[in-house]
Amino acid sequence: MNITLKYFSWIRVKLKKSHDLIELNQTISFKEFKNYLISKDPVFQEIFDDKSVKYFLNLTEIDDDDQTLNNGDILALLPPVTGG
Amino acid sequence: MIKITNDNFDLDTEFKCVSSDTNGAYSFFLGTVRSDLSSSNKKIKGIYLECYEELALAQLKKIRSKALSSWKLNECLIIHRIGKLDLGEKIVLVITASSHRTNAIEACEFVIDSLKIDVAFWKFHLLDNDEKETVLQKNLDNEKMLKWKDIIN
Repeated sequence: MNITLKYFSWIRVKLKKSHDLIELNQTISFKEFKNYLISKDPVFQEIFDDKSVKYFLNLTEIDDDDQTLNNGDILALLPPVTGG
Repeated sequence: MIKITNDNFDLDTEFKCVSSDTNGAYSFFLGTVRSDLSSSNKKIKGIYLECYEELALAQLKKIRSKALSSWKLNECLIIHRIGKLDLGEKIVLVITASSHRTNAIEACEFVIDSLKIDVAFWKFHLLDNDEKETVLQKNLDNEKMLKWKDIIN
């Protein structure tokens, strides 16, 4: 299954890319997915340690680490917004 | 009406979009790029605005809908620009239209306060040598939203 990751603001700058497509063999919880990303790139540890970062799955904010990610999901990593 | 655009906008043209003889009051908020200093005290040349457009549109629709119903507005227009903007350029326009002024003024303030903390836009200062500096969210913007907590909940 595939998960698309979208990065914004300082996260995009730090990772030097705006998105990723991650291929996995099976469904996975958000918590497991975070650990998977940290194992691939330790920079994710810093991102996930920042409590101000919000996570949106298919345009809806994630409020439960045990939420399951499914094939085709889009997960966005959002620092505090600064528009206006 | 909600618009996220790279293009500049004309105030008269946008006003005509919400103008109607059923309205007795309009309130406007126009945000522009001000001359500012970076965190390292360098003069900025402009700003760059990044956006998660699908999410920002959904969030703006929600804010607009709350404003329309909570203040009984006849119309609410929100335009936000993205991309590279020079000093003095227009960034964001909010126009609220209602029968009476109090509703239009309060709703306009609610929309821009909400937009500042709840919509997927990110600002960068543009410095010399094409360097970009991330602009951080201000605590004051979050504190201002406390005023609207009864509307949000």
